[in-house]
Amino acid sequence: MTRRTQSSADARQAPPGVLAAPAPGALRAVPRRRPSHDEARFGLLLAGPSLLVLGLVSTLPLAFLVAVTFFRIEVTRPWATGFAGLTNYATMLTDPRFWHSLRVTAVYTVTSVALQVVLGLAFALALAGEMRGRHVLRTAVLLPMVLAPVVVGLVWRTLLLTPRYGLLDYLATVLGVGSHSWLGDPTLALGAVIVLHTWQWTPFAFLVFTASLAALPVEPFEAAMLDRATAWQRFRYITLPLMRPAIVTVVIIRTIVALRAFDAIYAATGGGPGTATEILNLYAYRVAFNGLNLGYGATLTVTLLLVTAAMTVLFGRLRGAVESPA
Amino acid sequence: MRRMSRRALLRMTAGGVAAGYLGRAGEVVWAAAARTDPYATARINWRQLAGERIHILVTPVHYFTKFRAVTSEFTRLTGIEVTFEVIPPREMREKAVLDLGARTANYASHTADPMFLPLYAANNWVEPLDLFLDDAKLTDRAWFALEDIVPLWRRANTVRGRLWGMPVEGEVTIHIYRKDVYDRLGLRPPETLDELRETARRSHAPAQNLFGLALRGFRGAGQNMYIWPSLFRAYGGQWFDHAGRPTVNSEAGVRSLEYYVSVLREFAPKGVENWNWPEIMEAFAAGTVVQYVDANSTASVIENPAKSKVAGQIGYQRWPKGPANKRVTSIWNWAMPINAALPSRKKQATWLYIQWLASRPTQLSSATFKETPDAVVRTGVNRMSIWQDPEYRKVIAFTRDYADVVLTSLREDTDADWRPRIPEWPEIGEAMAIAIQEALVGRKTPKQALDDANAELSRILRR
Repeated sequence: MTRRTQSSADARQAPPGVLAAPAPGALRAVPRRRPSHDEARFGLLLAGPSLLVLGLVSTLPLAFLVAVTFFRIEVTRPWATGFAGLTNYATMLTDPRFWHSLRVTAVYTVTSVALQVVLGLAFALALAGEMRGRHVLRTAVLLPMVLAPVVVGLVWRTLLLTPRYGLLDYLATVLGVGSHSWLGDPTLALGAVIVLHTWQWTPFAFLVFTASLAALPVEPFEAAMLDRATAWQRFRYITLPLMRPAIVTVVIIRTIVALRAFDAIYAATGGGPGTATEILNLYAYRVAFNGLNLGYGATLTVTLLLVTAAMTVLFGRLRGAVESPA
Repeated sequence: MRRMSRRALLRMTAGGVAAGYLGRAGEVVWAAAARTDPYATARINWRQLAGERIHILVTPVHYFTKFRAVTSEFTRLTGIEVTFEVIPPREMREKAVLDLGARTANYASHTADPMFLPLYAANNWVEPLDLFLDDAKLTDRAWFALEDIVPLWRRANTVRGRLWGMPVEGEVTIHIYRKDVYDRLGLRPPETLDELRETARRSHAPAQNLFGLALRGFRGAGQNMYIWPSLFRAYGGQWFDHAGRPTVNSEAGVRSLEYYVSVLREFAPKGVENWNWPEIMEAFAAGTVVQYVDANSTASVIENPAKSKVAGQIGYQRWPKGPANKRVTSIWNWAMPINAALPSRKKQATWLYIQWLASRPTQLSSATFKETPDAVVRTGVNRMSIWQDPEYRKVIAFTRDYADVVLTSLREDTDADWRPRIPEWPEIGEAMAIAIQEALVGRKTPKQALDDANAELSRILRR
C-alpha cells in the first residue's frame, strides 16, 4: 500500500510528458485522505533520526562510491590521482578479466540457485509427511546454514576435498570416480564452489518451502484424491502452482545473495586456480584492496550493484506477474 | 676475608638465606635484572617519553607472541605503554594500507611486508628511520649497532637510499630433505636444480604415499610468488630491461617456470596448486614428502617430535644452484615502519620501541622466551652477532650445520631484486601469482602464461 501511494506521488511530480502515459501502479492507486500537515511533520520528526543515520551510513557512502568511479585513484600512484570521466568504465569494457569474472558470476549464480530450489523443494516434500525422526532430520538439514561461510570454505578446502585425505575425495575414490584435485582443476573447482554454496544455502530454500507447504490449503488435495489424481499430477498441477510465490521469493533472495557471494570462495580457492572461480565481487576486491586501484575497484563494484539491482527489478516484475493473475 | 666487616658478612648471609627462601621468585628477579641491565648502557634517556601510549598491528605468529610477551619489560624501562592488535597477514596488510592511506594514524607501527615499503615511501606514508637513527637524543648508535642487523634485510628495506622499516624478524628459504630417505637410496644432497629434479625422481614413490618434492603452489604474491622468483633469478631472469619494460617472459623466465611446473606435476602430491607453506610443512612432518624448499623457520615445527614423525631425520642445505650458477633465497623480514601521520611525540615513542625491539639484548632474550611450555625458539633473529653467538647456536642446533646453512644463505644467496621492489608491487605480485598458477594447473603453457603476464605488467606500469 505504501508503495502505491509512493508511486502515485512520483507520478504527480513527474513532468507532463510522463503523466500522459501513467505507470500501471499509478492507475491502481486509490485516492486517499491526504495526511494533515501536522501529521506529516510529526511523522517526519519520528523518522528523522533513523533517516539521518541511514543517509550517513548507507546513502552517503554509496554516493561517494559512485563518485569515485569517475576518478582515477590509485594508491600505488598517488601523483596520478585526478578526474577521469568515464575512463574507468571504458577500461572495464575492454578488460578480459572483467568479462571473465562476469561469466563466472553468471554460471555460479544460475547453477547454484537452480540447484537450491530443486533440492530445497525435494527435501521439503520428503520431510513434509509424518515420519519417525522427522525433527532430527529437519534440524540436520538446517545445520549448514548456521555456519559462517568462511568456515564452510575452509572445511571444504581442507577436510572434505583435499586429495587423498578429504572425506569427499575418499568417497569419490570408493565410488570409482577417482581421487582428484577438486579445487586445483579449473573446471572441477568452479563445480566445487557451486556445490559448496548449494550445500550451505539449500537449507534456506528448504525452510521457506517447508513453511509454505504447511500453509497450503487441504481442499484441493482432497478433491484431487477423489478424482484419483496420481502423486505426480497432484504435485505438478496443485502443489507447484500453489508454491509459485514461495519459489519466486526464494529465487529472488538467493540470486541476490549468490551475486554478492564472497567469503566461502575467498576461503576455499581465493578465486583460483588462476582465475577459474573469480566472481565479479572477488575481482573487485582484488583490484581495490590487493591492487590498490580504488577508482577501478569502485567501478567494478558499482557494476555489480547495477547487475544486482537489475535482477531485483526483473524478479520484482516477475513476482508481480505471478501474484496479480490470482 | 678477615677484612670483611661484620655488617657485610651479615648482609651476605641474610642475602643468601633470603635468596634460598625466595627460591624461584628470586631467580625471576635476578633474570629480570640481568635483562634490563644491558639497556642501561645505552646513552639515551629511555624515560624521556614516559606516559605515551602506542598501538601496533601485528600478525599471529610465534615470534610476535614472544615480542608481545617481553614488551612489558619495555614499558617498565620507558614508561611507554604498548598495545597490540593481532590479525592474519593478508588482512593486516590491507588494514595497514588503509590506515596509512587515509592518514587515520590508528597504528603507530605494524609488521610490514618489505615489498610494500617502496609503496609506503612513494606516498610518504611512513617516516624514514634515518631521521631517528641520526638523532642522538633518541638513539645511541654505538649501542644500537645498526650495522649488525642482517645487511640483506636492511638493503631490502631501503628505498632511495633510506631505511623505511626496521627488520625485527626474518627468514630465508632453504632446501629441507629427508636424510633417512636420501641415505636409503644412496642420494647425495643436490648441488644444482637439475640434480634436485633427479633426487625427486629417484625418491618419488606415490604407491608408498611418498612424494618426491613439494613447493608452494597456492596463488598469491606471498605464496607461489614467494618461491618461483628464486627459480627465475637462478635461471638468470631479469624483471625489467634497461628501459624499465618488464621481461618476465624472457627465455630464463619461461625455462624457470617450465622447471617449476614440471617438477610439481611429476613429483608433488595432488592438490599442490592449493598448497601454501603450512600444508607443505604438515605433509613433510607426516612423512609423505621427501623434500621441499621453504622458510628455515619451519624447522622448529618439523624437528618437534610432538608434531612431526620425521624429527631428527632431516637435512638442511642452501638452495641448489640454477643454470645462471647462483643460489637465490628469499629476502623476507618483518619490517617495522613509523606511521608519518602520528604526532611527533608518538613517533619518537614508536622509535624507542622499535629500537628496543630490534636491539641485541631484546632479540636475544626473546629468541628463547617460552610463552608456553612447548613454545618453539625463534629462528629469525635480526643480528649477525646473534647468529654467531654460541649460546644461540646451541638452541637452534637442529642439525650440526643448520645455523651455518641459514647464516651462509643470509650472507651469500640473494640479491635485493629477488622480487621487483617498486610501488606497483601489489598489482604485479598478484598478476604474476595468477600466471604461475595457471601454468601449474595447465590452463596455459608456461610461455603463454608469462607472455600474458608480461603484457599485463606492461599495462600496469604504463597506465
